[in-house]
Amino acid sequence: MATQVFKIPNTIKKDAKFTFCPGCDHGVAVRLVAECLEELGVIDNTIAVCGIGCSVTIYDFIDMDALEAPHGRSVAEATGVKRAKPDKFVFTYSGDGDYASIGLAEGMHAALRGEKITSICINNTTYGMTGGQLGPTTMLGQVTTTSPTGRNIEYYGYPIKLAEHIALCDGTAFSARVSLDTVANIKKAKQAIKKAFEVQLKGLGYSFVEILSTCPTNWRMTPDKAHERVQNEMMQVFKPGIYKDVTVENV
Amino acid sequence: MVECLTNKKVLMKGNYAIANAAVLAGCQCYFGYPITPQSEIGEFMSGKMQELGRAYVSAESELAAINMTIGACSTGVKAMSSSSSCAVALMQEALSYATTDELPVVLVSVMRGGPGLGNIYPSQGDYTQAVKGGGNGDYRTIVLAPSTVQECADLTYKAFYLAQKYRNPTILLADGLLGQMMEPVEFKEYPYPEVDNSSWRLSGTKDHKARIIRSYGPLADDRCVFLEKLFDKYKKLEENETEWEEIGTEDADVVLVSFGSTSRNVKTAVKMCREKGIKAGFFRPITLFPFPNKRLKELSKTVKKFITVEVNMGQMVDDVRLAVNGVVPVELIHKGVGAPPDPEVIFKQIEELI
Amino acid sequence: MEKDFIIAGFGGQGVLLAGEVLANAFMLDDKNVTWYPSYGAEMRGGTVNCSVVMSDTEVSAVQKAKAEFITVLNQASFDKFVSCVKKGGSIIVNSSLAAIKKTREDINYIFVPITKLAQEKLGNIKMANILALGVLSRVSKLVSLETLEKALYTVIPPHRANLIPKNIEALKLGYEYDLLKV
Repeated sequence: MATQVFKIPNTIKKDAKFTFCPGCDHGVAVRLVAECLEELGVIDNTIAVCGIGCSVTIYDFIDMDALEAPHGRSVAEATGVKRAKPDKFVFTYSGDGDYASIGLAEGMHAALRGEKITSICINNTTYGMTGGQLGPTTMLGQVTTTSPTGRNIEYYGYPIKLAEHIALCDGTAFSARVSLDTVANIKKAKQAIKKAFEVQLKGLGYSFVEILSTCPTNWRMTPDKAHERVQNEMMQVFKPGIYKDVTVENV
Repeated sequence: MVECLTNKKVLMKGNYAIANAAVLAGCQCYFGYPITPQSEIGEFMSGKMQELGRAYVSAESELAAINMTIGACSTGVKAMSSSSSCAVALMQEALSYATTDELPVVLVSVMRGGPGLGNIYPSQGDYTQAVKGGGNGDYRTIVLAPSTVQECADLTYKAFYLAQKYRNPTILLADGLLGQMMEPVEFKEYPYPEVDNSSWRLSGTKDHKARIIRSYGPLADDRCVFLEKLFDKYKKLEENETEWEEIGTEDADVVLVSFGSTSRNVKTAVKMCREKGIKAGFFRPITLFPFPNKRLKELSKTVKKFITVEVNMGQMVDDVRLAVNGVVPVELIHKGVGAPPDPEVIFKQIEELI
Repeated sequence: MEKDFIIAGFGGQGVLLAGEVLANAFMLDDKNVTWYPSYGAEMRGGTVNCSVVMSDTEVSAVQKAKAEFITVLNQASFDKFVSCVKKGGSIIVNSSLAAIKKTREDINYIFVPITKLAQEKLGNIKMANILALGVLSRVSKLVSLETLEKALYTVIPPHRANLIPKNIEALKLGYEYDLLKV
């Protein structure tokens, strides 16, 4: 008798067409979110709030109610949704440009208030949709369309380490950074997303997952090379790990 | 502050009256950030909403406050924010989004002096900001302008109703004088029917197919269709919801046009004109959008001159000029910022202008 | 008939509250009334005033340059507002904190050591504002002590109701200011 080992989650729209660039990890991240929503049985009680950038298209893939926020304001809008309807499952999905730059105040204050929502943030060290400009997570030395000679400290300052910062906020119940560079890490990433969602369902506070992701197009790399960069460069600075988990002592 | 349903007159600040009326209108969520001269609204709400088991969030910025309001409105509950002038400026992007999201956001704008930080004294300098919108693209917000504390309450009810009925952001445009002054006000029950929003609100997909509330319209043609639809709505608003007050316009040679707190002094000046034998009339737009264009145009057939009186450098005067379209002259009496000019001062300037 | 009142002093003297009691009293008498404070960046210690307009018809203007009855609780307010009394109007001056000096012939001056009376007769200088209202009631003849008493019950919140008897005493003291020897 055949055993099914792979299927598209029921939470993915039947007519969804893949629109991300080849080798982009957004597709994997969206799928992991879809799987977690399915496994936790919350999809029909979910309201997602999407940031502006490549991440906004999550509402084209996952079969759920969604609200599209102005750039940087997804966490504020999610706060409004959750405060209006505390029994709904509410998460935001946005990129680093959205969350870590223009929306940093919203993210941090939601964490400080302990809003019972989950934020997923894709860190690909660049503004992807607008064509690969320097962003808040762009790494030292990284060449982008607005750092043509590479990011140097004197001129551009430092990139932000989101998972660590969010973990410092007292209202944060869970904060983790994960990577999608290997199958093993993809599994870990899914565990983290699921944990973040469960933390919300238990009403423990704000939960946050930063996902290290490729942007082969703007990095001018093949998918393979892009994942090598994630391993060799990004993971050395943006170290994967669980930075806060109130369900476990001494993380 | 313990008010709510009073069914008798109580002496109250305009800001408190607005907040109390919002509670009675069924506002479930308030999101705000302090700024003079409207902070009493948030102060009242912080206690009252908690007491009633509703939501109050002291937001990290006005950007966050108005976007939290959008989030709450997307679920179909009544929600609001309040702010003033330079901080309402920060909210313009979100108001633009809310018009294309077609969400019934209610925003109370208590005007103070501008531009920039300006000062905290009363002003009508944000007429244009409210009526024309400071955000991007083609859109309008419904704008209601109270002139008394009682109207602060009554038009707050109406703001919630019109916002729901037309699924359009609605601004209650008050000013520092109305916000800070006290006057007797009576609170009766919310007089409007509840509007069914089950066809569009976000609630999870238990009873409907996935809904997306968005303002992104990637296809040019689709966007054209949407904008036409949006502006059909504004046409309906103009046909059905335009509201104004007029006194003594039947035989008037000159009609004074004024809104909000300033109109109180103008009404007195018009009475003084009549006592002196000057055939003056009084016209007060209550809805600033939709603007009573049609009625002003009708009046231009019999009136020889319009004079607008504003506490700004002359903003509504442009709309009155557009409404009468050059048929008769439209003059301006103004004061840059502060409490409205004394009725005697207005009267003297009317005498000079006619 | 329309009458204008201004009450002024320094922050902490309770002039806004006194104005609120007065405005409530007019409301209880079924008059149209408005109350408008000076509001600014100052908190405690700054100068502060409020205008109360009472009218049988619609209030003609909320903020006016001049008033029939002006009550000043300190020197700075006396200096600032003496020129704002309408011809034939009255100014009630707290002579405990302002010099007894008449600069105009066309208005009535009522000098009462309001703060001193509050301290000596009521044991609390904070009662000066309500005491001043008693003086105003007597001078203006536009609002009765009874109505002001009722207004106190409206303005003072239930959890402070224990303060009401003392405030009523202050109103009565003020009303009989001319019988008092200080």
